[in-house]
Amino acid sequence: MVLCVKNLSVSIERSRIVHGIDCHLHEGELLMLLGPNGAGKSTLLRAISGDLAYGGSVSLSGRELGEWRPEHLARQRAVMPQRVEVNFPLTVEEVVQLGRSELRAGMNDPVVDRLMDDLDIAHLRHRLVPGLSGGEQQRLQLARVLAQIMDSPGERLLLLDECTSALDPAHQQMVLDLVRRLAKEEGVAVLAVMHDLNLAAQFADRLMLMKAGYRVHSGSAWDVLTPDLLETVYGFSARVVELEEGYPMVVPRRGAPVRAQLAPLNPSCRQAS
Amino acid sequence: MIRDAAGRIGYSPSLLVALSAAVLVALVSITSGAYPLALADILSVFTGQEATDPVASMVLLEVRMPRFLLGFLVGAVLAVSGALLQGLFRNPLADPGLIGVSAGASLAAIAVIVLGNTWLGGWLAMTGEWALPIAAFLGGSGTVLLAWRIANRSGQTAVATLLLAGIAINAVAGAATGLLTFYATDEELRSLTFWTMGSLGHAGWDDLLVGAPFMLLALLATPWLARPLDAFLLGESVVGHLGYRTDTIKKAAILVVGLGVGAAVAVSGLIGFVGLVVPHLVRQMVGASHRMVLPLSILVGGTLLVAADSLARVVVAPAELPIGLMMALIGGPFFLALLLRTKVI
Amino acid sequence: MRFRVFAAFLLVTVLFPVAQAGEPPRVVTADGAITEIVYRLGLESLLVGVDTTSGYPEQTESLPKVGYLRALPFEGVLALKPDLLITSEQAAPEDSLERLGRAGVQVEKLPLARSPEAVLERIVSVGRLLGEEDRAESLASELRSKIKHIQQASLARGNQPKVLFILAAGNHSVMLAGEGTAASALLDTVGAVNAVSGIQGYKPANREAILASRPDAIVIAESTPGQFDIRSWSEVERLEAWQSGHRLVADSMMLLGFGPRLPDAMAAVNDVLSAPSNVAANDP
Repeated sequence: MVLCVKNLSVSIERSRIVHGIDCHLHEGELLMLLGPNGAGKSTLLRAISGDLAYGGSVSLSGRELGEWRPEHLARQRAVMPQRVEVNFPLTVEEVVQLGRSELRAGMNDPVVDRLMDDLDIAHLRHRLVPGLSGGEQQRLQLARVLAQIMDSPGERLLLLDECTSALDPAHQQMVLDLVRRLAKEEGVAVLAVMHDLNLAAQFADRLMLMKAGYRVHSGSAWDVLTPDLLETVYGFSARVVELEEGYPMVVPRRGAPVRAQLAPLNPSCRQAS
Repeated sequence: MIRDAAGRIGYSPSLLVALSAAVLVALVSITSGAYPLALADILSVFTGQEATDPVASMVLLEVRMPRFLLGFLVGAVLAVSGALLQGLFRNPLADPGLIGVSAGASLAAIAVIVLGNTWLGGWLAMTGEWALPIAAFLGGSGTVLLAWRIANRSGQTAVATLLLAGIAINAVAGAATGLLTFYATDEELRSLTFWTMGSLGHAGWDDLLVGAPFMLLALLATPWLARPLDAFLLGESVVGHLGYRTDTIKKAAILVVGLGVGAAVAVSGLIGFVGLVVPHLVRQMVGASHRMVLPLSILVGGTLLVAADSLARVVVAPAELPIGLMMALIGGPFFLALLLRTKVI
Repeated sequence: MRFRVFAAFLLVTVLFPVAQAGEPPRVVTADGAITEIVYRLGLESLLVGVDTTSGYPEQTESLPKVGYLRALPFEGVLALKPDLLITSEQAAPEDSLERLGRAGVQVEKLPLARSPEAVLERIVSVGRLLGEEDRAESLASELRSKIKHIQQASLARGNQPKVLFILAAGNHSVMLAGEGTAASALLDTVGAVNAVSGIQGYKPANREAILASRPDAIVIAESTPGQFDIRSWSEVERLEAWQSGHRLVADSMMLLGFGPRLPDAMAAVNDVLSAPSNVAANDP
């Protein structure tokens, strides 16, 4: 098992944001976290990333997070935060190269070249990051994150926080396709926070639905994306139809009352959507 | 701004330009000064032959050489400290002077000058001729730490808070310095005034001996910080994700800045704006990657200060302008322009 | 390197007397009072440079300035190729002076003068250094008799008047002279005492302290004429001593320089202590 989370809880400024979450990820598995704004998805991800103090246990390849040496951990686990702002004139290539450890870093690293091709940023190689569009920056950050674990031996974990939020549909497909390929072909375990229910249904092996810091439900897309659950968790009314490809698609009902209130408003884990 | 297609190869011209500027400025600073020396004499001194002017070797080897070296080191250290702080705080306006590091270092140094005979007698006895640089180092590091504590809330550095903290720290240090000068004797007072304006006028091998080890140590530590600081530009959490020990890096950078700026302040007084102007120029030349910014800041910082010092020696010759005054004249307007153009506060 | 420096030193010491014997020595003075002495002795033709404290007489303006006497630049001074640098014990930095010495410049640091006797000794020292001892001796005895005359007058007064001494130097900096200052020393020469007690050195003027000092006379030393603006110091104007005309506003270098103008300074202060009549000339 790559990732094992047991009874994880997180408090920020004395208010509890995440309550006793259990979850685990096997090699090559793609788990996507869903839930309304303020459900605690990002907070959960940040705790697993080591950014926040937590209660309970998080272990990677059977070793508790705190027992890893940072430099070793970085080769097995890569994190893509929701937002990375770059205000200094770094080039695209320089940022992607940051994902390579000192030993591997060098000119014309084939991994860097391949990732830039895969994520359609090769033509931006020498451009300065602050001048890029939001979508270009998001692809760039993903390239950096993937470069970090690309050729590491052993079990690998990829944590993604809304990695497609700024992308156009074509690039969304491109990026999630790449992530899924990594999972299936190279055995990387992926935990991704998503907002787009249909993309999640399309690419995930499993979904986990959260609300107000609790796990509401988890299972296959068909188990999780039901009109009832969507109504209770998100507060909107939708049909769920089956696509030819076999996965469900959520179609919100136009004009139906939305009780979007919903997640208890907690200022410290408000999420940009 | 789009870098040319040559990319990485584009670095080398900048490096070349900086290197030749450094060599040129070195030559100018060593060959020119208030005392006129014939080129033949200069050559004789450096080739080990007897010069026709009996004081040529003294002017060159005992005055201009140490002054050039000290100026270069001080400029290099101040510039690279600016670059380190800007990376650490992710803001191009961070500067040892602006956030109060120089003021903290100078307060400690002034305390040693004024109270050395009374309250701090024990300190003097303990540290000997290193009293000033060590005190300045402690003062400098302490201030960076303080600025950091004030501006850093839950892992994020609020830059507005940082600059405001700098104002407050400068004010407090200024007040404490003022208090010390109030109790200083007339003698001490006048030396203090000249010292706070910053000067390389007294530079000799003994100053170099005292200050250089600290400054060289600071410079030698910087290559190790280059990559982690690049990670800092993406945000503090990313540093950890990439496998660096965020706290260790921060502490190391703070230590290096305290060490360098402390020693620089101890040997040359207050010289401002080098740390602001130089990294900015360098980033315009080679982009923001610290692997280029740090070494080039060292080169360009040293060059700029030596150039400014050479100018300070000749504009009112045979007297000299304080170099700190010179840099403030150059740096003040530059800072204002930068402030007007920057969107990142 | 050390050998070469030594060789240079030897060369210089051999050459030096020749220069002295042949042509007149080139002299730099770094101290306002010492510069004044050189001019009073009529030896200004020897001067090739002065420091920034040397502003009197006006002819000093045309000489190269080597900077402030506490921050003498080695190269700046050496560039004037002086044979002799006469300065006071306040001169700094030590490195510069020591190197100048090794570069063959004869560096003479005269002790600080804070009494008439010391001023006269200084004059004789300067004269001796410039090879005009006789001229210096006669200037000294001329000044000595003037001083004696003034001191007799002050003794005849029979009391110890309290004087408020204000120094107006630089932009808006108005200071009160406390103990251990040249101002106190000047008052001492004419049998007066400082009205401000308990402060050391020059300290920023405090309006209440001015009122509390209740002086018998007021002396204001200005670094440039008109520096002290009585309109912003109504407390001073309100003092009885000011109202009654026991006041003197004069040049600070003349008053506090302890140079050859010391008798003038003493006379000016002494006059204001006794008769308010002849002060009007100095009013701002």
